[in-house]
Amino acid sequence: MGPKSDILPGTLYMLILRSLARMGPMHGYGISQFIQQTSDDVLQVEEGSLYPALQRMLIKGWVTAEWKQSENNRRARYYRLTPEGRKQMTRELNEFERVIAAIARVIEPA
Amino acid sequence: MRELLRRLRFLLGRPEYERELEEEMAHHLAMLEENGRLPAAARRQFGNLGSLREESRSMWTFAFLEQTAQDIRYALRMMAANPLFTATAALSLALGIGANTAIYSFLDAILMRSLPVANPHQLAILKWHAARSPGVIKGANGRMSRYGKTGRESPNFPFAAYQALRDNPALFSTMIGYTYVQNFNVTVGDAADSIPGGFVSGNYFSGLGVPPAAGRLLVEDDDRPGASPAVVLAYAYWQGRFNGDPSAMGKSIRINDVPFTIAGVAGPGFSGVDPQSNPSFFLPIHQLPPLSPHPGAEERSRFFDKNFYWLEMMIRLRPGVTLEQAQAALSAQFHRFAAGTAATPKEAEVLPDLSLEPGGAGLDYLRREYSKPLYVLMTMVGLILAIACANLANLLLARAATRRREMAVRLSLGAGRWRIVRQLLTESVLLAVTGGAMGLFVAFAGIRMITWLIANGRENFTLHAALNWPVLGFTFALSVASGLVFGLTPALQSTKADFTPALKEGRSQGWGRTGHGFRPRLGHVLMVGQIALSLLLVIGAGLFIRTLSNLHSIDVGFNRENILLVSINGRQAGYRDAALARFYSGLLDRFREIPGVRSATASNVPLVAQYVNNPDVIIPGRPSPQHSGTECLKVDPAFLETMEIPVVLGRGLQREDLASPAVAVVNQKFASAFFPGENPLGRQFALGSDPGDPMLAIVGVSTNAHYNSLQESGEPVVYIPYTQGVADLRGMFFELRTAGDPFAAVGAVRRMVQDASRAVPITEVTTQALRMEQTISQERTFANLGACFAVLALSIACVGLYGTMAYAVARRTGEIGIRMALGAQRRKIIAMVLREVFALTAAGLLIGYGAAHFMTYLVESFLYGIKANDPPAVWAAIGILLAAVLAAGYAPARRASRIDPAAALRNE
Repeated sequence: MGPKSDILPGTLYMLILRSLARMGPMHGYGISQFIQQTSDDVLQVEEGSLYPALQRMLIKGWVTAEWKQSENNRRARYYRLTPEGRKQMTRELNEFERVIAAIARVIEPA
Repeated sequence: MRELLRRLRFLLGRPEYERELEEEMAHHLAMLEENGRLPAAARRQFGNLGSLREESRSMWTFAFLEQTAQDIRYALRMMAANPLFTATAALSLALGIGANTAIYSFLDAILMRSLPVANPHQLAILKWHAARSPGVIKGANGRMSRYGKTGRESPNFPFAAYQALRDNPALFSTMIGYTYVQNFNVTVGDAADSIPGGFVSGNYFSGLGVPPAAGRLLVEDDDRPGASPAVVLAYAYWQGRFNGDPSAMGKSIRINDVPFTIAGVAGPGFSGVDPQSNPSFFLPIHQLPPLSPHPGAEERSRFFDKNFYWLEMMIRLRPGVTLEQAQAALSAQFHRFAAGTAATPKEAEVLPDLSLEPGGAGLDYLRREYSKPLYVLMTMVGLILAIACANLANLLLARAATRRREMAVRLSLGAGRWRIVRQLLTESVLLAVTGGAMGLFVAFAGIRMITWLIANGRENFTLHAALNWPVLGFTFALSVASGLVFGLTPALQSTKADFTPALKEGRSQGWGRTGHGFRPRLGHVLMVGQIALSLLLVIGAGLFIRTLSNLHSIDVGFNRENILLVSINGRQAGYRDAALARFYSGLLDRFREIPGVRSATASNVPLVAQYVNNPDVIIPGRPSPQHSGTECLKVDPAFLETMEIPVVLGRGLQREDLASPAVAVVNQKFASAFFPGENPLGRQFALGSDPGDPMLAIVGVSTNAHYNSLQESGEPVVYIPYTQGVADLRGMFFELRTAGDPFAAVGAVRRMVQDASRAVPITEVTTQALRMEQTISQERTFANLGACFAVLALSIACVGLYGTMAYAVARRTGEIGIRMALGAQRRKIIAMVLREVFALTAAGLLIGYGAAHFMTYLVESFLYGIKANDPPAVWAAIGILLAAVLAAGYAPARRASRIDPAAALRNE
């Protein structure tokens, strides 16, 4: 296992949206686990910071929340992607790819 | 939009959301533990719960407002919990803001307010000045002041100059003329009153652009010789005397016994071009001769004598014409005119030079009289504001220091740094706002007090300053800014990222940390500055108070106490010549009967009331008129005796002299100036260069008594019977020497004047002492306000010092406890605290002393009988400051010595 990295600034929303899009409704702990595992433990979500981000996404209307029983019989709040959230995700992904491509062009060997 | 709705929903179901967030986070932590983390590790991985909660909450806006409300609530609780801190900070700010607003409001009223006329900035006043007394000016009536050392300046011109200059349509649209305001005997129905009025040219109202409130205003046709007499009333007089009744137009009133028809009323707010005087009516200039004792002679001198200067003038510049352009043209024109009026080449040597001054604010006498004093007062209150701001800063610094631990605790519990800074700022601003609100009341009270001080007992004082909101806003902003700046510094300091030392620090150390010795800090610097500024103000007050007491202790050469001064003008009611003299002597006989009146007399002007007339003195056998600044008083024979001016040679005036009045009593100065080494008794002289003036024989010599002012002494003075030159007899001032309170005789005096003639009103009633007080009103205002300011500055500085030291002691409780547990004596503890107070004070006094050395020269022209750095004033100020500061420092020192070591150490 290599060294852990903090999430790049500005990408947390994108990661959350993408996680929800791939896995369907999830609770906060689930989202953080998913990001960590899918990235082979490279991306380290500062777990607490997830919640302010989720609050903000609720306000923006990108996600909705509902309380459900979790797999191990606990009450948990599940977040679900809204159509608006899906649109936002597309926007953020495009923007991210554009930036990555630009960086790649700059750093590619001569 | 939908976002807003979601936010509103959040706000409504807020406790619900809070609970949900809490549960969600708890769930997350539980899951972490379930997956094998230790609770502590789980928490560390999760982050600071408190700050995350806060951050989540802040996602829903309104948070800013909400937090501000929260901050204000908290700040109010802090203020209530520290009443001493709150009271001192708010009070010092209130005093600083209030005093400044009051003074600046006055400055604005005097220096900057425009006349209530159309386009006041177009107006310009004509004046002349000359390096010496110009020979072409052979007579003058109106204001004249000194220009340089020997020169003269005045706004008065001959009528011929007005005619010569008035038409210049390229430069100005109108030139108006007017005289200074004087009192007239006005009879409406049966009631006679003494009312101020002024003469104005026919184009006065149209030129100024003043609208009528009723009827019509004066026009050119009213202002011609032989025009039917018309008068325009001022709005306030119309309201007061005629209840604003429009039917008063066309009614007849008698002015100095001449019937005038009321033509109209000037617009509200307009009371002439001199902000200091308040005329009740306006008469055409050409009505001046009929209202004077000798209409024929008056008309000749006023309208045909090119060497008699009496008419003031103002022009309205055309748009685009500058003051300089108009001045260049007019001064050349006037120079030609003045040269043409010189009878001999010698008279043409010194000619008056015309100049223009902006006239939008009206005449400048008031400004000249009060602007420099006001600048001095302004500086003083500015210093007070500086002290008050420094005080606020100091208290905030001191308090921030005591709250370091609180801040550290809050930071470690997850409070955001910006959040804490914001809260501290809210506290300082709230404090500044409280101070500002209280300052409003101080300002209102201050304005009333200054009006009272400047008006100084004068009736119909017209300068009314209103609270100046922009100024209040400015001083208020200044105090808020100082609250922000000085609240911010400690706020940033105490929220520095590394707060562990502050947590460990406990409640004990701080201030001059043990072992570090004395290090000057911002708080100390502020304290020193406050003490230095206070010293300046106290020295200033000392100088002004000494000046006033010097003025009061001047020996004026007569007894000023217990003299009632009554001004009566029978001439304006139609009495003249011998009848007028009989009227006055009849009044005197009655006054002498009043119980409690020991003696009564009269003179054409009162003593020490700044009347100057300077007639030439002609002595037979000597070549030319003797200029010597001689003054002449026309008096009732009992004058010298009543005023208690001793006669040292020959005899005083006697009752019989009224019948054959060609005699005079002169003072010693006159005798030594004109007859040095000779016996002046029996010598003859004439007053005035007219060959018809009679010869007066000197029958006695009196001691010197002040004539013109308290400050000047030693003018040659001649006392002659008032029946001498009876044709010129006008109003008289009656001096009644009483056994007790002079005002007790006023009722009897009024009855007697009424009995003697219903047509003659009393113009003014005062006392000799009050009248003299008026001539030193500026000095008195300075002494009073200066003393107020000094007390203000001292109390603010002491309060600040007390606060700073009290906090310092509170913070060192632990250290002092240890010292005492180790055997330090109470006396030593007191000395330790006082040593610090003393060090600060000494530094402040040294700086203040140095500054005073230079600053006091700025006020030297306001002092009398002392130099700028008057040692008694300076040393007294230093003593007062030392005493006050040590007293303020002693209380905290004593408290330090009362610390119970056991309790202090338990607190660790």
